[in-house]
Amino acid sequence: MKTVFINGSPKKKMSVSAHLLGMLRLFVRGEVVHEQVRNQADHARVLDAIRDADKVVFGLPLYVDGVPSQLLAFMKEMEQFCKEQGLHPKVWVLANGGFIEGSQNKALMQVFECFCRRSGLQFGGGLGIGGGVMLNVLRILLLVYLALFALRALSGEPAAAAIDFAKQLGMILFFHLGVLFYGIPMGLKVNRGRECGVHYTRVMLPSFLFILVADLFFILISAFKGGIFRGWLAKK
Amino acid sequence: MKTIIHDLPEQKASLLSGIQAHIISADGKYAPCQGCFGCWTKTPAECYMKDALHTACRTIGHADELVIITENCYGAYSPAVKNVLDRSIGLSTPFSTYRGKQMHHTLRYGKKDRLTVYAYGDMTEAEKATFQYMAERNAINFGFRSFSFTHLKSLEEMEGMKL
Repeated sequence: MKTVFINGSPKKKMSVSAHLLGMLRLFVRGEVVHEQVRNQADHARVLDAIRDADKVVFGLPLYVDGVPSQLLAFMKEMEQFCKEQGLHPKVWVLANGGFIEGSQNKALMQVFECFCRRSGLQFGGGLGIGGGVMLNVLRILLLVYLALFALRALSGEPAAAAIDFAKQLGMILFFHLGVLFYGIPMGLKVNRGRECGVHYTRVMLPSFLFILVADLFFILISAFKGGIFRGWLAKK
Repeated sequence: MKTIIHDLPEQKASLLSGIQAHIISADGKYAPCQGCFGCWTKTPAECYMKDALHTACRTIGHADELVIITENCYGAYSPAVKNVLDRSIGLSTPFSTYRGKQMHHTLRYGKKDRLTVYAYGDMTEAEKATFQYMAERNAINFGFRSFSFTHLKSLEEMEGMKL
């Protein structure tokens, strides 16, 4: 059984889609191949990878309520390729959007269902996650906490450090509850080639707090990159 | 003033002649969005890639109406048209608010009148429903007060149509 994980994010670094696919991959046995579709130049290679695949998992970011354009172009080629070669891999979708509501991925998910029907592929289901960017922040935070724990443990207070780290780990796990609740069963279903249904979840944070965090995040980034001083909110 | 985004083949582009509008021709001769958010955080309402879509969000932003003519692609825009939309998020600001009871970005150019979407080409019932929903979501996202979605069985239906 060969499974191809296709990252549909154009990003080279800090791709939330790659991170989520990496977590899902932990549950999938057999031959696994990771691919990414960043532009036209990737098409031939990725199509070649799915030639003998039974399962294809797309991981992608939500762009303007839908599929990023460069992945959409790939899907059109994949439709032709699968029809010509008589391929029928099962397809799952792991989408993440910047907005906190997971259900904002609904139109994207419907596009994939239409894609599967047109291409003669079986749609295995999908998971739409809201607040995707925060998963990136949380994994960085986890490394920071881990480093602090190591420093304190080495400087002679391992017990207190362990208790603090356990609390911090608990908090990070809490934010991931929805992702884990739907993501783990999805991983197990992908492994067995079963359908997992379509579900939507989010980072476990109320939307008003998420908006506050997102606003602060963009203020900091824009100050650092200088956009704040270049007519940040002006009608250009 | 209105803006029209279209992916009509060259021989059909005459359907748009004489129309008073800014026309963005989605010919695919530009790069896809790289997801860097630079049009929010570094050079507001401007993409770092200096191709035909360098300031596409401004062209859309200054118009009251947006008309999109696109080939159907699984109940969504063609890749070339979607590319234009992906490269136009500078229409919004990085700040967030609630619109339609959900989180969205605040609008750099304020609310707009109408989003009109025409999709041509063969289309299943599921794709029509998906596209209708997509247009509705886009209208909320980009801050249009109203929207419409029409399936054109063939481009000939466009002849004589008031866009």
